[in-house]
Amino acid sequence: MTTHVKDSWMSTRLPCLGGICATYFQKNRAANAPYFAALPFLIAMAAAFLTLSGAVLAVYYNPWHAFDSVQFIDRNVNNGWLIRTYHATGTTMIFGVTYLYLFRSLLRRAYRAPGEFVWMLSVKLLAVLMLTGWLGYVLTGGAAGYWSLFNAANAALSMGGLPGAVGLWFFGGPAGGDTLARLEVFHALLAVALLLVVWLLHASRRAIAAPVASGKGVAFYPYYLAQYFAALAVFALVFVVLAFYAPHLGTSHMNQLPAESLAVPLGGGVPWYLAPAAGMLGVFPGSGLSIVAAIAAIVVLYALPWLDRSGRAGRCGKLYGFFTWVLALDVIGLGYAANSSSGAAPTLAGVFTAWYFFHFLVLTPVVTAMEAE
Amino acid sequence: MAESAASHATHGASRRDFLTLLAAAGGAVAAGTILWPVIDALNPDAESAAAAHLIVDVSDIAENTAKTVQWAGLPITIRKLSAADIAANQFVVTQDLPDPAGFNDRVNAGYPNFVVVVGLNTGTPCALEGDAPGDPRGDYNGWVSPCDGSEYDPLGRVRRGPAAKNLAIPRYNFLNAAQIKLG
Repeated sequence: MTTHVKDSWMSTRLPCLGGICATYFQKNRAANAPYFAALPFLIAMAAAFLTLSGAVLAVYYNPWHAFDSVQFIDRNVNNGWLIRTYHATGTTMIFGVTYLYLFRSLLRRAYRAPGEFVWMLSVKLLAVLMLTGWLGYVLTGGAAGYWSLFNAANAALSMGGLPGAVGLWFFGGPAGGDTLARLEVFHALLAVALLLVVWLLHASRRAIAAPVASGKGVAFYPYYLAQYFAALAVFALVFVVLAFYAPHLGTSHMNQLPAESLAVPLGGGVPWYLAPAAGMLGVFPGSGLSIVAAIAAIVVLYALPWLDRSGRAGRCGKLYGFFTWVLALDVIGLGYAANSSSGAAPTLAGVFTAWYFFHFLVLTPVVTAMEAE
Repeated sequence: MAESAASHATHGASRRDFLTLLAAAGGAVAAGTILWPVIDALNPDAESAAAAHLIVDVSDIAENTAKTVQWAGLPITIRKLSAADIAANQFVVTQDLPDPAGFNDRVNAGYPNFVVVVGLNTGTPCALEGDAPGDPRGDYNGWVSPCDGSEYDPLGRVRRGPAAKNLAIPRYNFLNAAQIKLG
């Protein structure tokens, strides 16, 4: 069962592939990477899986009869219900591992030099994923997705200047079949972009990996391959449990109804993975401020390597760790507030949003500088 | 496996080989189980498959008449031959025909009294006349084209131009003496 890359049948005929494979046989990796280091691999697997199931959905999807075509997939296409469950639960899984990966990066302060670029790619991954996820949610043609698109398209089209021109180019007009037709294409293109970002993330993580003392390293094959497969098995188990016992986890009941242009659905209808962002955007009155808030929320994440004042050698303090956990609860709270119909929800969303920016702009510099001493 | 296990220096090596094989086989089964629905989803759904395989009742066709159904966007004409039709066409010298074809090339061997053709003139594309005994049928008691005057015999062979090809035969098979499945 041994594999000698140098004289394998393939490598003599396609040396480039052999060269790529050879890196997986070099004993240049630290031997003690934790299982959580496999999270980007799981993100890549989930992205590939979503691309595959999405390709099947795209065969039957009809943007001019979006809701009906989804019903057709669910009811008439062979295993169509299963493919839809694959895609929906796959989305839950990719967001789950991405949020977990970002949280772990925050907790370990992996964003500090030389990890800034890896961190920026991670934020980019989240941004691309959220846009792709939102487009997928809109494409279902459900009542909640329709009104989300209606509001977003009107907000984009009502802006002047360059943002308005970009919005017009992106949406091509207000909500409707023609809009969904182009959003379907953007959804697919963004999926490709997502795969590219994941690959860049992988490459940049390898580039900054600490060098291993000669003779102490292990090769990717079979050590980390086995570890990745073990992580994948756990991932697959969670996926299967969710797919078959909670296929509609965290999705909107409103989206089970067809889009109705004359009836605004009551209550929130945002899937769980978009809910924190929706909660934050809902705080700000008017579309202009919402968009500024969305950009600001991403920018503070990008700026994190420079907001952390502890320097390269600074240790990870307990207080910073505590506040990172609080931030996680804050983001979860934002998500709850977005889909809650209680009267206190807008106030809570405001408090949680304020805390989010307070965490990055005030707490992070102060606490890290304090604990670095 | 027995000799290879014996030739290994330790039992650990053969056990590892076995575990590797087991893990790879389990992984292949798991991946196949996940992927099969994705592949099967691209097969046509039951309704499209049924439409693509139209079943026609031929028990109500009288001898010497034809019935035309729509299938795959084409008029499919099914004619029940009379004994006279068979007698007149079974032993025609095929070399003399514009598009030579024998009796057995035109009918199903098990049900030689049914002719199934695409009812479109092969010259100027045009629906044919001649399904009912009272329709114009030309000199060969088959079909005629009202557009260019081409004449066909009851087997759908062209007998008089300008058309140069026999009527096309669609994919079909007999489910029983009363039912034909197209496609």
